[in-house]
Amino acid sequence: MAHPERIEPSIMHELATQVSDSRNSLWTDIRDNGLMVLNSSSFPSKKIEEWKFINLKPVSRTDFVHIEDAGTLPAIDIEKYFLPESDRSRLVFINGSYHEKYSSIGGLGKGVTVGNLADYSKDDHVKEYLNKLVNYENDVFSAYNSFMFEDGAFIHLEKEAKAEAPIQILNLYTDSSQAFVANPRMLVVAEEDSDVTIIEDHIGLGENRYMTIPVSEVKVKQRAHIHHVRIQRDSIDAFHFSRPIAYVEKNSEYHSYTITLGGKITRNEPRVIQEAEEVDFTLDGLVLIDGDQVADTHSVMDHRFSFAESHQLHKVVVNGNAHSIFNGKIFVRRDAQKIDSFQENRNLLLSRDGLVNTKPQLEIFADDVLCSHGATIGQLDPEEVFYLQSRGMTEEKAKEVLTYAFALETIENVKVESVHKLLIQEVYRYTKANSNPKVLA
Amino acid sequence: MLELKDLHAEVEGEGIEILKGVNLTVTKGEIHAIMGPNGSGKSTLAKVVAGHPEYEVTKGDILFNGESILELDPDERAHAGVFLAFQYPVEVPGVTNNTLLRESYNTIAASRGREEMDPLEFDDYIREKLDLVEMNPDFLERSVNAGFSGGEKKRNEIFQMAVLQPTLSLLDETDSGLDIDALKIVSQGINKLHGDDDAVVLITHYQRLLNYIVPDQVHVMIGGRIVKTGGKELALELEERGYDWLESLATVNGEAK
Repeated sequence: MAHPERIEPSIMHELATQVSDSRNSLWTDIRDNGLMVLNSSSFPSKKIEEWKFINLKPVSRTDFVHIEDAGTLPAIDIEKYFLPESDRSRLVFINGSYHEKYSSIGGLGKGVTVGNLADYSKDDHVKEYLNKLVNYENDVFSAYNSFMFEDGAFIHLEKEAKAEAPIQILNLYTDSSQAFVANPRMLVVAEEDSDVTIIEDHIGLGENRYMTIPVSEVKVKQRAHIHHVRIQRDSIDAFHFSRPIAYVEKNSEYHSYTITLGGKITRNEPRVIQEAEEVDFTLDGLVLIDGDQVADTHSVMDHRFSFAESHQLHKVVVNGNAHSIFNGKIFVRRDAQKIDSFQENRNLLLSRDGLVNTKPQLEIFADDVLCSHGATIGQLDPEEVFYLQSRGMTEEKAKEVLTYAFALETIENVKVESVHKLLIQEVYRYTKANSNPKVLA
Repeated sequence: MLELKDLHAEVEGEGIEILKGVNLTVTKGEIHAIMGPNGSGKSTLAKVVAGHPEYEVTKGDILFNGESILELDPDERAHAGVFLAFQYPVEVPGVTNNTLLRESYNTIAASRGREEMDPLEFDDYIREKLDLVEMNPDFLERSVNAGFSGGEKKRNEIFQMAVLQPTLSLLDETDSGLDIDALKIVSQGINKLHGDDDAVVLITHYQRLLNYIVPDQVHVMIGGRIVKTGGKELALELEERGYDWLESLATVNGEAK
């Protein structure tokens, strides 16, 4: 196999060249495919419209080493991240590798298959869909994942199968002496009339630098329902580039909630593609950032057929020097009539030095559609602060309560109780930590 | 209880003086009404007493129970017993009435050396207050004022007053936006809450509220000053004659007054 050849140097190419030719892979074709993209695509720069607000120099200047040379420390005390509801429906990946001893499957009832992709490489569904759904043009990140991944989460639901418990996909990243790259992968295929809740958790155990590139492919067949919660609690020095893409068939529902808390640089690119009429999907997000964190969401909601209902509420709280970027693309294709699409990006700026770039982007080619969209950037309303103060709360407490209330709305629809509670705690922790004199009002 | 001495106030940083020397004394057990045309400074007066940060007191003093409260933050004034029912109550989505009130009640209770209540005790306590303004218990679990009608917001203010038990209540146009039935309920609530140990200051445009709540004194505010004070019959006179006949009093000694 040839190493990637390139004209312009790119960190992803360099990383790919570190991998020896002799590496055996279960995924030869996928790997070759990834390599092809890596060979022909350059690393994003600010000159490209889609990347103009984000500075990736911290990524390209990092010396990543192979995971075996990164001096990773063992993962300890990881039980505290296990969800009680997923006691018997949990997959654990450490730095992208599957760990059977921490995983627990078998509590999901009839017709639900959950396991490591590497153990299902001959499975018909894996053959049919893996790497077929992922569709990010000239994207070196997803290509690198395709080139590198071996393990991954595989979830399959047969017709009419209902997962009896939420499935937790726990991605842990260990502390290390040098920076490494992890490539979590997930494939979800929900057949007709099936129903599943997936909690995808990314947790950094240390404060080290690493890069994770989670790629997930989701197929929601007719009348199937998927509730997908993604929680990003990476290390404060980590880079997170996620590419979750879902295809929704007739009468299906896909509801996704992404909560971004950690990481130094995060770039989420969630996409939902409508494949038939009458679908209902959600792409909500909550971002709570501080310090010099950068969180960038570039989403696509592609309405290709009539009768779709879609919802995107993206809420952001920015403190310190943190920087939030939002670009929400909504496509409504020419023959997609009777679309009811809602998009709102609300940003709460708590500090003078925080920065928000927001760009709702609607491209509508049909004429009978209802698309509401909006973006706001604001500080806490002094009138609201005064109201709560006049009821006896200190200024600090009033600001804390208002920030908390602002953030809470996006997590109200998370169905799993322990996750809902966990997120409330996270929101509370953030508002508590940030209700100091840095706060303006 | 409340003493305003030559109170001057302006919008912070804008230098526009709105209160131009207000003198007012409110004694325990009394109800005062402050009336006046739009833009006369009535609402500003209420906000300044409650400590709104938008206004700066440039001269004079506010004494509450004999002590100046000028340096106190709004929450400290609330702890001392001051309550402002807002003309435009603020919506706080995500915070339930119940949460806000328990938090407020306990903070105020703690600062006044009263017992704090646990959620169960508080639940009993708060439900009995609901009846006072004939509010549905569902209100407790709804976000503060979010999606409330104008009338519901006003009723909610009086409900909060009932729960927090202030000693000085400033009610800023609580009657506006209420239909006649709601006005009766709210007025009755205020009458029941008012006793010998507290005072109420009503700010209103209309005499009709005073059919239900009988004031001990009526003040007319024009141009940032109280230009006339009388008994409850003054309100009727205003209803009949308007404010024009009093305009001259505002400038009787010229702006130099």
